[in-house]
Amino acid sequence: MSREKVGALTLLMFSIAYGLLAFKIPLSFLAQQEFFTSRTMPYALAVLGIILSLLILVLPTGDPSGKRTLKEETAGMDWMKAIFLVFAMVIYGMLMKWLGFIIASIFFLMAGFYILGERKIKKMALAAIPLVVLLWFIMSMLLGVYIAPGEIFYHLGVL
Amino acid sequence: MWDGMVSGMLTGITTTLIPWNIALVLFGCFMGSLIGMLPGLGPITAVALMIPVTYGLEPTSGMVLLAGVYYGAIFGGSTSSILINAPGEAATVATALDGYPLARQGYPGKALAIAAYSSFSGGTISVFFLMVFAPLLASVATSFQSADYFALMILGLTAVSAFAGRGGVIKALLMVTLGLMLATVGTDQTSGVQRFTFGSLELLDGIEFLLLAMATFALTEALSIVLKRDESSDSLNPKMIGFKSLAVSKKEFKLIAPSIARSSVLGFLIGVLPGAGATLGSFMSYGMERNLAPPEEQAKFGKGSLRGLAAPETGNNAASSGSFVPLLCLGIPGSGTTAVMLGALIAYGLEPGPRMFTDSPEVFWGVIMSMYLGNVFLLILNLPLIPYFARLLAIPRNFMVPMILFFSLMGVYLVTFNDFDIQMMVIFCIAAMALRMMNFPMAPLLLGFILGGLMEDNLRRALLIYDESISFMWERPLTLGINITTLFILFFPMVRSFIAAKKNGDRDESLPVQEA
Repeated sequence: MSREKVGALTLLMFSIAYGLLAFKIPLSFLAQQEFFTSRTMPYALAVLGIILSLLILVLPTGDPSGKRTLKEETAGMDWMKAIFLVFAMVIYGMLMKWLGFIIASIFFLMAGFYILGERKIKKMALAAIPLVVLLWFIMSMLLGVYIAPGEIFYHLGVL
Repeated sequence: MWDGMVSGMLTGITTTLIPWNIALVLFGCFMGSLIGMLPGLGPITAVALMIPVTYGLEPTSGMVLLAGVYYGAIFGGSTSSILINAPGEAATVATALDGYPLARQGYPGKALAIAAYSSFSGGTISVFFLMVFAPLLASVATSFQSADYFALMILGLTAVSAFAGRGGVIKALLMVTLGLMLATVGTDQTSGVQRFTFGSLELLDGIEFLLLAMATFALTEALSIVLKRDESSDSLNPKMIGFKSLAVSKKEFKLIAPSIARSSVLGFLIGVLPGAGATLGSFMSYGMERNLAPPEEQAKFGKGSLRGLAAPETGNNAASSGSFVPLLCLGIPGSGTTAVMLGALIAYGLEPGPRMFTDSPEVFWGVIMSMYLGNVFLLILNLPLIPYFARLLAIPRNFMVPMILFFSLMGVYLVTFNDFDIQMMVIFCIAAMALRMMNFPMAPLLLGFILGGLMEDNLRRALLIYDESISFMWERPLTLGINITTLFILFFPMVRSFIAAKKNGDRDESLPVQEA
C-alpha cells in the first residue's frame, strides 16, 4: 500500500472517531432547539474528513513521490536516535516541575548531545550550561519573568 | 488616495523609526537569518520561535520584530540553499537550483551577494505595491459582512490547497480539515460548552497555536535531520567565503536587473493570492525567466545562471510582501508564515482585517514600514555578516539538533509554564512526523487551525443574520462572487489537466494516421 493511502486510512479512522466523539458534546435543552449548535461544525468537519480520506483512498495517487510505500520511505532512517530524543523530551517535560528549569534543561541538552554521539563530558557541559544559564538570566533577570524553582528544593529544605 | 498613503507612510515612519523599534528590526533580521540558515528550519519555525520574545512588547513593536524575523529567515534559507544545497523551506528550493552550482564553481560569495541584492530589490518594489494596494483593499473590505468573511476564509483555505501541486489538492484539503478539527478542541466561545477536552483542565482553553506550530515545524524538522542522517553541513568550509568574494560587477548587475524588475511584479501578484505564497512566487519567477532567456542563457539555467538565481530570490521576497495584503486587509493569511503572524496578532488582542486599517493604523503602517526597514537592514547588516553566519552551518548536528529541540520546547514552556504542554508538543510532533512520512503537508493544517475559530464564528453570525438559512452563499452578490472565485480556483487545475490530457489523447490518436 502506498504511503499516501496509509495516511488517508489513518485520517479516515481519525475522522470517524472525531465524528463519534462529536455526538458526545453536551448540549443544553435550549441549545438542542437551535439550528447551529456546538456540534454543527464538528459534524460537518467529520463528514468532510471522511469524504476527503475516501477520495484519496479511491482515486489513483497523482503525486509520484506519494506512490512509494512507507517501508521504502523509511528505509535507512536512524530510528533509535530519534526515539531516544523523543523519550528525552518526554522525561524533560516530567522532570521540569521537580528539578526546575536550569537543572532539567542542562540534563536534557546533555542527554541530547550524548544520544547524537557526543562523548566528551566537558564539551557537552560547556555547550549546555552557559546556554541554559544565559537564557534563565535573560528571562528572569532582564525580562522579569518568574521561573519557579524545582519542587525538589522545597522537599530538601534548600528553599 | 495619495494623501492617505503619504499620511499612512508618515504614521508608519514615526512608529517604526524610533530607536527601540529599529533595534528590534535589527535583532529580528539577525535572529531570522540565524534560524533560517539552519538546515530544515524555515520562516514558519523562525517566526514561531520568536513569538514568545514578543509577548512582553507593544503590538507594533512585536510585529516589527516578527517582520524582521520573517525577512531574515527567508534570506537565511537562501544562504543554506546556496552554500550547502539544503533549502530551509520550499520557497528557497528554486534558489538552490542555480545558487548551489554557482557556489560549487567557486563563487559562493557572489551567489550570496546576488541573492541579497535581489531580495532587497524584490522587497523594495513589492513594499511600494503593498503601500498602494493594501489601503485600497482595506477601504473596500470595510463593507464586508460575516457572510463574506466566511466565504473569504473558504477561499483562502481552498487556494492553499489548490496551489499544492500535482496530486496534492485533496491531501491539502484534508490537512486543512484536520486543522479545523483541532481548532474545535476546548471551550466553545459562544455556548461555553466543552468540546473534545476529555475532562482535561489543560485543554479547556483549546490548543495553543504556538505549541502546534512549534511541534509540527520546529520539532519535526529537527527530528527529520536525525532520522534522515542529514549531514549536509559537514561539506561546508566557511573559510572559503570572504568579504572580497561578495563583489558583483556592473555587467552582472545589468544582466540581472530586468529579471529582478519582472520577478518583483510577478512575485507580488502571486503573493497577494491567498494561499499562493513565496514558494509559488519563486518557482514561477524562475520559470518565467527561463522561458524569456535567449537560448545561450537558457542553457545555463540549473548550472549556475545569475538570472536563474536572481529571479527566484526576487520572486520569493516580493511574494512574501504580497502575502501581507490579505493578512492586513482581510485578516486572512496568505501563507503558513503569515498564518503564524495572524496568530500572534490575535494574541496581542488585535483583530486583523479592514478595521485594523482604521482602528490601529500605527500597527498597519508600522508593519509595512518595518518590512521595508527589514529589507534595508538585511542588506547593510547581513551582507557583511555572511562570512560569520556561514560558520553557523559548520556546527555539528550533535549539538545543533538538541539546541533546536530545547529552544522549541522552551519557546512554549516559558509562555505557558505548563509542563503538560511539553508532553502535548511531543504527541503532536510524533503525529506530524508520521503524517509527513505519509506525504501530507503541514502548512495547510496550521492555516486551518488558525482560521477555524474565526470561520465558525462568522458562519454562526451569518446564519443568525439570514434566519438560519445558508442562502447568503448565493443571495449576497459579494459572497457569491467570492464563492465563484473559490470554485474557479478549485476546479481550474482539474479542467486544465483534463483538457491537456484530452489534447494529448487526440494527438496520440492522430499520430498513426499521420504515419500512415
